[in-house]
Amino acid sequence: MQEEPGFHIDLSKTLIQDGPKFLSHTVVISGNNAYLRPTISSMLFCFIYIVVGAFLTTLASYIMITSGQLDLAIFIGGFGVAIATFGVTLIQPFLKRARFDRKKGVFDNGVDRNVKLEQILSLQINNKVVKRKQALNYHCYELNMLTKNGRRINVLNHNSINQILIDAELLKNFLKIEVDDMRREIVL
Amino acid sequence: MKKVHQLLGLLMLAFSANLYAEEKGAFGAAIASVSESVDGFFNDYTGWFVSSIFYSVPVGDASFPIIVGWLLVAAAIFTVYFGFVQFTRARMSIDIVSGKFSDPNSKEDGEVSHFQALTTALSGTVGLGNIAGVGAALAIGGPGATFWMILCGLLGMASKFCECTLGVKYRTVLPSGAISGGPMYYLSRGLGEMGLGGFGKVLAVGFALMCLLGSFGGGNMFQANQAHAMLTYAFEVPSEYGMITGLVLAALVFSVIVGGMPSIASVTEKVVPWMAVLYVGMAIVVIGANIGQVGAAFSAIFEGAFTGAGVAGGVIGALIQGLKRATFSNEAGIGSAAIAHSAVKTKEPVTEGLVSLLEPFIDTVVICTMTALVITIAGLNAAPYPGDGLTGVQLTAASFTQTAGVFKYLLALAVILFAFSTMISWSYYGLKAWTYLFGEGASIELVYKVIFCVFVVLGATIQFGAVIDFSDAAIFAMSIFNIAGLYFLMPVVKKELQSFVARVYSGEIKKYD
Repeated sequence: MQEEPGFHIDLSKTLIQDGPKFLSHTVVISGNNAYLRPTISSMLFCFIYIVVGAFLTTLASYIMITSGQLDLAIFIGGFGVAIATFGVTLIQPFLKRARFDRKKGVFDNGVDRNVKLEQILSLQINNKVVKRKQALNYHCYELNMLTKNGRRINVLNHNSINQILIDAELLKNFLKIEVDDMRREIVL
Repeated sequence: MKKVHQLLGLLMLAFSANLYAEEKGAFGAAIASVSESVDGFFNDYTGWFVSSIFYSVPVGDASFPIIVGWLLVAAAIFTVYFGFVQFTRARMSIDIVSGKFSDPNSKEDGEVSHFQALTTALSGTVGLGNIAGVGAALAIGGPGATFWMILCGLLGMASKFCECTLGVKYRTVLPSGAISGGPMYYLSRGLGEMGLGGFGKVLAVGFALMCLLGSFGGGNMFQANQAHAMLTYAFEVPSEYGMITGLVLAALVFSVIVGGMPSIASVTEKVVPWMAVLYVGMAIVVIGANIGQVGAAFSAIFEGAFTGAGVAGGVIGALIQGLKRATFSNEAGIGSAAIAHSAVKTKEPVTEGLVSLLEPFIDTVVICTMTALVITIAGLNAAPYPGDGLTGVQLTAASFTQTAGVFKYLLALAVILFAFSTMISWSYYGLKAWTYLFGEGASIELVYKVIFCVFVVLGATIQFGAVIDFSDAAIFAMSIFNIAGLYFLMPVVKKELQSFVARVYSGEIKKYD
């Protein structure tokens, strides 16, 4: 790639600060589509919040109906609604299936503006250490795409490097583009 | 369909507040029975451990636990050895926290400033120790226990300085890339450098074992137990229903520590500091509303400290309670803080030590004193102090509620979030100890995490003293191994401090104003 003067894109920089400590998505190729499928385990962890939240909300309703203890019902119900809402928010990205559609010629992740496949220049694998204040730090990896007009968009973000490498290879063949391994040594 | 309805009805009945009637249902009786069995188990199998850790010698009318003396003497020795670092270098600590030693132009990506590090650490330190611990201390030790808590907080600053400096100096990078530090590493590596590798290894393994127990006890069961006790106080939820509180907390803890969901951890990290602000705000409101009684409250604290009136064991009794609860709250000398601080991004280990020494001051000297003032002002804790009435989180909550009824709800919210965040923090400490003992690996770590979640349920379910005693003992036991090693390693810390101070004065380390 010819670098224009005064126009530098640091491809080794990660796009997202955070990331899960598990494999969240895998790439599935189906005909003219390549889409990101959420893993069952990641969905299950989101469901924990929804189930706990729904349980607390139901319990609060039951307390209200049977004993009329308003303060306890509000307290438990408040927690329930907050936790369930959190779970629903958490599961949203898993339900939106980001896909590369060769028929329509676009990449649609439901978040960013659609990208024409012909605009996609390359893919990069980046690494980072997610620092938790109350837990072990862990490695996380991103698969990002670079477009011809300099946009960088995240495709995958999880902690399974093996799966990222496999998925990058699949997308490389699907999109006929190059994949750059931009992982760097991270020293704290 | 009818069967489904019946089943749902039964399930809801089992969990419902409808059973809050005085007559215990079958569910309540079953829970009480489980609770009693587990307590019996703890009493039978851990009683020896508790009595060994809290082995006491008669001092006056009281029995003085040697472990309390061990912590106090160590804190006093560190204070003298480091030249009263908590007072002489307090300005330097504040300068580091306010970023005066950080080049404003060289902040790297993701770097956490010392101020952020302090607020993070504080949000981890301010918790049930400040709420339930002070309540327990005053219920048994009277207002005089507060004075000894303050003293312990001031001396504990030197212990924390020493252990946190070492935590950073001897941290290591695990094969997974995770940064790991804490007493396990400075005991084995630090003493290894001195040619005492074998001894260091023994101390490190001993510490790791006790840290594991501490993570199940004070860092887990005590938290879950007091969270449910708060619900019992605020909403009259029967104590038998602790299992439900435990199951809900365990499910959430499980999702964080097993699932590795970054979002919930981030939410907790963001919410807990606000809970600390809320708690301090409430205390200020209570103290402000009763400003005329503050003088009398301080008089009661000083008189109680030196007369021990109404306290079993007199002055020594008040001192023991103050020291025990202060240590439980600020964790100075225990070694847990060194694990948390070791992940900081810094090239100078001593700067983290200097930052960390502010924690016992804010935690114990400021916030615990505020709680003690609230309790003393409320006057619900009158002499004599047998400790069998209102105690722990319930005494603190009742004292806050004296000023405004709404405080019990806010306190319930804060207590639950504090308990949750403390459990997450201690699962981290425990996991560090576990991986130190058994190595890294997904399945090995999963075993620990599942056990940890089981203990959350147990802690909230059990209502009796044996579990609380075990929780206490496990935390204090960590100090045996930690402090033994600190005595050998304190010259290393002194050298680090002298070198840092010399470079600051010579201008090698720049100060940015």
